[in-house]
Amino acid sequence: MQVTESIIMVIYLVVLTIIGIYFYRRARQSESDYFTAGQSINTFVGAFAIFAAVASSSSLLGAVGSGVALGVPYFFTYAFGVIAIMPFAMFLISGQIRRSGVKTVPEFFNQRFGSSVQIVAAVIVCVGMTFYMVPQLTASGIIGSYVLGIDYTTAVIVLGLGFTLYAALGGMWAITYTDLIQGIIMIVGIVILALAILMNHNGIGALIGDALSTDPEFGDITQPWMSYFGLFIAFLWFGIISPSVVMRNFASKSPRIARRTSMWACLIYLTLFVSGFIVTSAGASLGIIDTLDNTDMIFVSVIDHYLPAILGGIMLAGLLAAIMSSADAMLLAISAAIAHDIYKGYINKQASERFVTGLGLIIMILASVVGVIIAIDPPGLIAIMVGWVGGFLLSSFGFPIVLGIWWSRANTQGALAGMLSGAITFVILITSGVLPTNAEPIIAAPISLFLMIVVSLMTSPPPKEKQDLVEFYHTHLEDTN
Amino acid sequence: MASRSKLKDPGLILMIFLVLYALLVFVWWPADVYVYGISLVGWLMFAGLFFWFLLAIVYVIWIEKIEDRNNS
Repeated sequence: MQVTESIIMVIYLVVLTIIGIYFYRRARQSESDYFTAGQSINTFVGAFAIFAAVASSSSLLGAVGSGVALGVPYFFTYAFGVIAIMPFAMFLISGQIRRSGVKTVPEFFNQRFGSSVQIVAAVIVCVGMTFYMVPQLTASGIIGSYVLGIDYTTAVIVLGLGFTLYAALGGMWAITYTDLIQGIIMIVGIVILALAILMNHNGIGALIGDALSTDPEFGDITQPWMSYFGLFIAFLWFGIISPSVVMRNFASKSPRIARRTSMWACLIYLTLFVSGFIVTSAGASLGIIDTLDNTDMIFVSVIDHYLPAILGGIMLAGLLAAIMSSADAMLLAISAAIAHDIYKGYINKQASERFVTGLGLIIMILASVVGVIIAIDPPGLIAIMVGWVGGFLLSSFGFPIVLGIWWSRANTQGALAGMLSGAITFVILITSGVLPTNAEPIIAAPISLFLMIVVSLMTSPPPKEKQDLVEFYHTHLEDTN
Repeated sequence: MASRSKLKDPGLILMIFLVLYALLVFVWWPADVYVYGISLVGWLMFAGLFFWFLLAIVYVIWIEKIEDRNNS
């Protein structure tokens, strides 16, 4: 057991719980407060909130672990896709989807395509986000078992249920404000770690030299081209297809703040990954990757090797923070999909807001239990599991969202065909294993695009009010508040 | 209703730049060219990280200029 690290982590989690309780009463005031923090988050808080939601455990542990195991170009591919998330989402959907005034991704599908598409989307959100809990829980288990000296399974169960309870209590208010703290710890922590590594190795040139002398393949392309390309597009689209990220966009005070928030989040991300490059090189220079039970542990080994215990404890708390904020945002997306979109939307339209948020709480706990059960024996590396979730959501939602916003001729039948064909093709490809890992969306997403266009054109156009809706989304530039 | 053409949307225009750079990397794919021991593919992606941030800045400034013009 690492005593100093344990103490810091416990203090950290206690502080977060106090914040969660503080926001609990506020969050239960209304559904808008619970799911989107009452649309009143400012630029500074929002930038760290988006950053912390997107910077899942895989951003830190997974990207570094995969970079050390598969060569640094794999790490760069990860970064190349992830940093493009913010600009890509801003360019294509952020202003328009905010203009639509909806609260969740399935709600957008309802507005644009009707209830059938909304229900299918809500189911896909639940499946995707529940599976997305798995890499988060895997990472929390790795850190927890290292710091607390307990076995991995116990760490997954204790930490998983602990932060789920926290997320369930506070909704988006608590999540957004604790994200501010988590985001700052993550970014400051990794910059300090990178500086410590550079001082230890006398600069970046010497560090890369050390990494290459330990592992001559460190700079090589070690995987098939399709693996890199598939990973890149899965992350590139993540801001568009991930309900947890899109919901952050709705929490800003105004469109102008939402855009600036995304821009600053992009800079924070850039800093994270430039520092991550240094951490990856340091991980390779240690030459211990083959001795680890789990490749993703390399990040923790780098912290242990280069930082004193107190700083290491803060950094590990930051890592746990990254996991917690991502998992919390996912849980919120799952609970919004069922409680808000399906239950209130179709089953009981008269349900009180208090009941809907209470139902959301129960659903969060159920989803986390499923996630914990799968994470006890995780099916792959963290980076690869995150790539699967990104690929699945891209294949299902990518084109129905983008064409829904940009193409007035897209109709309900087309959206259903695109969504279902993308999701089913992805599942077939991943279970059959015919493609290199993470390459599935290269096939599944174009099938979704093709079928959505063809089916839309072969069936009758959407009613005039739906076509007008597309024009309305694009009046976001006239919305100047 | 919309007074602007969707084709003139700064987002769409900047997205073309984003796609062109990504195409440059993935079509050219100079995997066997090494700079400081790391494949040029990796360095092109590393440079791309800064290019993405630059595009985000250009977008925010561009849209705010359009909004200010609409306001005045």
